[in-house]
Amino acid sequence: MNPIESLRIAWRAIRGHKLRSTLTTLGVIIGIAAVITFVTLGTGLQDEIIGDISPDDQQNVYAWAASPENSGQGPLAGAQPVFTLRDANEVGNLSGVDDAYVYTQVPGQSVTFAGQSVPREGGFIATGPGYFDDDDLAEGRRFTRGTNEAVVNPALIGLFEENVTVGDTLTLGIFRGAQVNVTVVGILENSESMSAFEGFAPAPRLYIPADFGGVGSAGEDPRYIAMVAEAPSKSAADIDRTKRVTREYLNSPASDASDRAEGLNFQLKTSTELIAQLEEVLDLLQDFIVGIAAISLLVGSIGIANIMLVSVTERTREIGIMKAVGAQRRDILGLFIVEAIILGVLGAILGTALGLAAGFLVAGYIGIPWVIPWSWVAIAIVVGILVGVLAGLYPAWNASRTDPIDALRYE
Amino acid sequence: MSSTGSAAAAVTLDAVRKTYQVGEPVHALDGVSLEIPRGSYTAVMGPSGSGKSTLMNLIGCLDTPTEGSVVVNDQDVSAIGDRKRTTIRGEEIGFVFQTFNLMPRLTARENVALPMVFRGVGRGERRERAAEVLQSVGLGDRLEHLPNELSGGQRQRVAIARALVNDPAILLADEPTGNLDTETGAQIMGLFEDLYDRGNTILMVTHEREIAEHAERVIHLLDGEIERIEELSGVGK
Repeated sequence: MNPIESLRIAWRAIRGHKLRSTLTTLGVIIGIAAVITFVTLGTGLQDEIIGDISPDDQQNVYAWAASPENSGQGPLAGAQPVFTLRDANEVGNLSGVDDAYVYTQVPGQSVTFAGQSVPREGGFIATGPGYFDDDDLAEGRRFTRGTNEAVVNPALIGLFEENVTVGDTLTLGIFRGAQVNVTVVGILENSESMSAFEGFAPAPRLYIPADFGGVGSAGEDPRYIAMVAEAPSKSAADIDRTKRVTREYLNSPASDASDRAEGLNFQLKTSTELIAQLEEVLDLLQDFIVGIAAISLLVGSIGIANIMLVSVTERTREIGIMKAVGAQRRDILGLFIVEAIILGVLGAILGTALGLAAGFLVAGYIGIPWVIPWSWVAIAIVVGILVGVLAGLYPAWNASRTDPIDALRYE
Repeated sequence: MSSTGSAAAAVTLDAVRKTYQVGEPVHALDGVSLEIPRGSYTAVMGPSGSGKSTLMNLIGCLDTPTEGSVVVNDQDVSAIGDRKRTTIRGEEIGFVFQTFNLMPRLTARENVALPMVFRGVGRGERRERAAEVLQSVGLGDRLEHLPNELSGGQRQRVAIARALVNDPAILLADEPTGNLDTETGAQIMGLFEDLYDRGNTILMVTHEREIAEHAERVIHLLDGEIERIEELSGVGK
């Protein structure tokens, strides 16, 4: 029999039982939708993270000191304040390093502007002007070392009712109730994180110079938890060299950091390495979800197989009629397999659409890009066909073996 | 109309025996030899359990004999595989059942075209031929109706059209009027007479004497054997 005819007749049978067919495909729909949703989000998240590394960030080497048991964990895991401003200056002067600056998170309580005070438990970021590129800024300029200047991002401005512009003064509530006034000199283009140290989600952030007056008040010898060294170019050789000379310096007695780094290891990571680490976690999560979805697909196949078995019994007489008028075993086999495949593929298509839609909504809601994982869409369709074939094989074989004499007598 | 030699016969049975193992062997047919000439109209009568259905199944290539041979249109179907038998069934046999046995989701035209689907006839040709045959059984105006939109008599006409569509060697009718009222039954018998007049070979199983009398001859079966063959002159031409 012509495959088109099989399709036509099988489709007729499916349409004859709309509700049943829908319920049957539901298992496949849910399984495929789950995979597509999470893969969409996973891909979006990865794109977001990778998209966050501006070309300038790619040549950064991030350094922190942590005890050996923290090695292999995320950025700043177990980081201790060991670096001094002098260290940053020295590293910046090394040949093979373009620029270097310290990084720390200053504990803080609040930011006040025009009489409105908003809590900032997350504190503020203290670093060097090199932390920004000129094109990161939508307005104004980077802060200058040793001043009470600040750079803010749009999300921070959004916390206030009144619009904060360049030149406005903000009052920062720092640790132990200390209050410091800073002048806004620059506003960032967007609220994305500026480096792997900040985490990856957009958030309200305020940046101040590392040698800003308030930080040092903890002691006359301020120490910072991290350092960023910039390589002269994005080439792997340059980045490796930056990493090597920075490590040599930090480990040498000449560095201030080495005084306090007893029992600690210096962690030096490039942006790419940090991202690879994160992607590993994401991949693991994705594998986990794909595993759950696979179970759902298995259940879905069993559902299709079950309904096909019922359908074969129900249509025993029809099978008998077809055999009486000349249908071969393979015609009947084909008919039922095609029906199961249609159910599987229908489930895959609907599941893919549902998954993409859910991915779109959630991506929009948590603010990551919506990326269609085309390869997974293709995989979903193939899986749908496979599910159909597997689920249809036994019932169809059963149907093809039906004895027409018994079948025609069947009530 | 009677003929000699198997070459002229639509169906020839030679010493056919069909045995079922039900605890002890039961001979559903026990040494039946029979020749059904082309263009003849034969009725088979007998009480239930006499072997009528088994005879139909054997001639209809739905079953194979335990012993003996069944030849349909010069092809011995007693010892061939399922696939070949199915092909011969599709091409040489036209079934008409008591319960019509139409596909419920297919229209009259699609039901009639169904046997051609399995022979690989193209859609256009199928539709044309199906319409033509339906026209010939008086259903030219019901082509696109579903079985449940048709009366019993109309359904049986669709079934007859389906049986005729491949131009079979023999039309096998199993109690074709069993599910119809007397008047409709009479109309269907009239249609069978038309078909007979047009040269079709008909074998009909019935338990009603009145119906059987439409045929040229009646084969009386009893306990798996031919009890007697009765030649009638009623419609014989």
